[in-house]
Amino acid sequence: MSPRSICFVLSALIFVSCSKPQDTVVVYVSEDQVFSEPILRDFERETGIEVRAVYDTEEAKSTGAMNRLIAEKDNPQADVYWANEPIRAEVLKQKGISAPYVSPNAEDIPPEFRDPDGYWTGFSARVRVLVVNEGVEDGPGTILAYTDPRWEGRSVIANPLFGTTTAEIAALFVIWGDERAREFMAAMKRNRVAISTNNGESADFVAAGQYDFSLVDSDDAVNRMRQGRPVTMVYPDQEEGGMGCFVVPNAAVFIKGSPHPEAARRLIDYLLSGETERKLAFADCAQIPLHLGVQTPPELKPMSEIKVMRVDYADVARKMVEIQPFLKAWMGL
Amino acid sequence: MARRAFLTFIVVLLLAIGMLPVLSMLARSVIVDGRLSLASYAGLLASSRQWSLMRNSMVLSCLVTALAVAVGVPLGILLGKTDLPFRRFFALLFVIPLLIPPYIVAVSWFDLLGREGLLMHLVGATAAGATARLLFGLPGCVFVLFSIFLPIPMLLTMIFLRTVNPRLEEAARLVSNWRGVMKGITIPIILPGVLLAAMLVFILTFGEFSVPNFLRYDVFPVESFTQFSAFYNFEAATAAAVPLAAVTLLVLLVEAAFLRKRTYQLRPFSESERLPPVELGARRTWLSACVGVAGLVIVVVPVVVLIVQSAGMDAYAEAMNRAGGSLLRSLLYAAIGATLLTVFGFFTGYLIQTKAFRCWRSVDSSTIFLLALPSTVIGIGLISLWNTPRTNLVYGTPVIIILGYLAKYTALTSRISVAQLAQIPPSMEEAAQVAGAGWFRRMGLIVAPLARRGLLSGWLVGYIFSLRDTGITMLVYPPGHETLPVRIFTLMANGSPDLIAALCVVMTAATLLPAGILWTIPNLLTRKVTG
Repeated sequence: MSPRSICFVLSALIFVSCSKPQDTVVVYVSEDQVFSEPILRDFERETGIEVRAVYDTEEAKSTGAMNRLIAEKDNPQADVYWANEPIRAEVLKQKGISAPYVSPNAEDIPPEFRDPDGYWTGFSARVRVLVVNEGVEDGPGTILAYTDPRWEGRSVIANPLFGTTTAEIAALFVIWGDERAREFMAAMKRNRVAISTNNGESADFVAAGQYDFSLVDSDDAVNRMRQGRPVTMVYPDQEEGGMGCFVVPNAAVFIKGSPHPEAARRLIDYLLSGETERKLAFADCAQIPLHLGVQTPPELKPMSEIKVMRVDYADVARKMVEIQPFLKAWMGL
Repeated sequence: MARRAFLTFIVVLLLAIGMLPVLSMLARSVIVDGRLSLASYAGLLASSRQWSLMRNSMVLSCLVTALAVAVGVPLGILLGKTDLPFRRFFALLFVIPLLIPPYIVAVSWFDLLGREGLLMHLVGATAAGATARLLFGLPGCVFVLFSIFLPIPMLLTMIFLRTVNPRLEEAARLVSNWRGVMKGITIPIILPGVLLAAMLVFILTFGEFSVPNFLRYDVFPVESFTQFSAFYNFEAATAAAVPLAAVTLLVLLVEAAFLRKRTYQLRPFSESERLPPVELGARRTWLSACVGVAGLVIVVVPVVVLIVQSAGMDAYAEAMNRAGGSLLRSLLYAAIGATLLTVFGFFTGYLIQTKAFRCWRSVDSSTIFLLALPSTVIGIGLISLWNTPRTNLVYGTPVIIILGYLAKYTALTSRISVAQLAQIPPSMEEAAQVAGAGWFRRMGLIVAPLARRGLLSGWLVGYIFSLRDTGITMLVYPPGHETLPVRIFTLMANGSPDLIAALCVVMTAATLLPAGILWTIPNLLTRKVTG
């Protein structure tokens, strides 16, 4: 190939890649690609707007896309961030990377699941539940079971340095205060809790009978139930006066300096629609709709029937950063 | 004059593409808020975890190197020196794992030996649980990486065996049997090749990220990737990458001191000059069976497992539906990358072979250093340098991926060119020069056509390595431009096993089919020339 042909091919490549038609939207996605991509394809089909996406890998523990946004703060490439939980959306707000946008579709989403200033809006949530082996009689109904001597050496939890487990522990620190939360963590350790690499692995351990129960995301539990594995799902701390389940909604975030703002707003509107929530509820990710009246699959309770942990996600985000050294030490790192 | 100017341009371009990102990253790691700070490095040294990761990396690299050399060298001798039946077929068979992305091999073993893998259906959950425990951790990592890098000592042994002067062996045969000749003559002569193979396996294992990450064995490259991807701590990621670069540099210094001259003097003897293959006699059959069983376990089983796991057209239809675009992009970027790598490799190879500049050794070392440097480091370096509004033309487009390929893999095409150019008598170019041909004409009409076999081989190697690249592409790909290996990685989070297996089969076919077609072209060319 002559130097001239190489220059031609390169120029063509650059031209094709750099052309930014208005009917394009760039979205960074932390939700698993296998669940998020069909939604984005439907959006493309219905609106004619081309979606260019960057997906997270399992290895980046769902933080790669957010971190890429942070690195690109002065040179934004993305229009929208589809976070798989609201804490990282809060971090982006605190770092000045997102911009407010209140979608008309967000109106009937409960206020506790959206930022009051419109920097992020929640949709389609996972709930933190206990997955319990069917062979266990009189199983646990509260996360305090982790410290109960009855379950010594019989429980497992995902690495608290990553993902929704970190968020829930940070939420406990916010609700209980540092002292009680640290004591809970210490008691959990004394009770010989096992650590797995992720929630899916925890659920598999419980399904295999290696451990009796684990705190996981509702989709992990529902998946195992749909596979016919011998597990049940328990919504913890639902009793009178109980603190309720920690809820982890997805979050749609509008990026400051978005190269395609109009298309970005349309995508956010689409993500926050009842129809998207219905699709995500019946997909394998089994996420619970936040809009009232959207149908849910039989394995899940509607959000209106679940007692929810009342916590400010902004406080949880701040606490999560604060407790990182404690969690590292707890893990022995 | 034209030669000097053009080769200077190539060197400057190479430095800008490869070394500048690395230097930029290093600078960024020591300058925090406009001030010189070694805090990241102090944090690194203070953490006991880093030392433990380094120990893990060293243990893994040493074990894989020892095993690959211990098996690869005898295998290379059997395939390259004896009358073992099907030796050409076996040689091709064992090369296959090196051609496909390492983590695909890991996925395949997981599909077989995992807690819910195919083995569980055959032998029950208890035995499968035991194999899963072995797979996840050091033993699994060693085995998978050994199967991937085994072709390196095998091929280098076969190549170096062809450079042993047959007269020496013939003379030795007068006083000794083949065993004595091998021990006293052949093996000492091919020792530089064995050491070169050991060095290559060591640095490739040391920089490998995807397999240890998948099999949950914590090593240094995983730490650097996690610091970058999970915490986005540029400084910590760079600091974590520096020990990797230091070890790489150390190994390269050893290579420069002991091996460089020996490995450049490769002059293979032709088929007619070489002695007939060593006759294995009665051992021929069972040795062939042993090699066959090894090939079955190391190569055939993982490929078959992927095919079985992906059984059914639905999985392939879903794979093409989800990843058809990524596959086309992969092929396009790999083809462009391979073409540019061939051009760059050819001219750097020419520079090194003709020692056109006094700094030829530095140019060679730089390319090798970049090849050995973990992909994560190069990827972070590229982001660090190009992620600005003014350079969006590079950062926001696939050009950034192509730059990554050039930075990482130029050494491969350069070395192939050196080997090919060494076989062209300098008198050819000199005669054209005397006849008044300018440098570009000499290169275009004399040197390049004579080196066409090397150019084709270089293109093929560049294509394979660009296509299988995960480490750099995963960090730098612009939105909507992910390649197939990246897509497989992102779909692994909750993607169904049959879909992942189908994608892995597609990826393997995308690598092997063009490689198979192009592999035959140099052979056809050779036959045409010799015939």
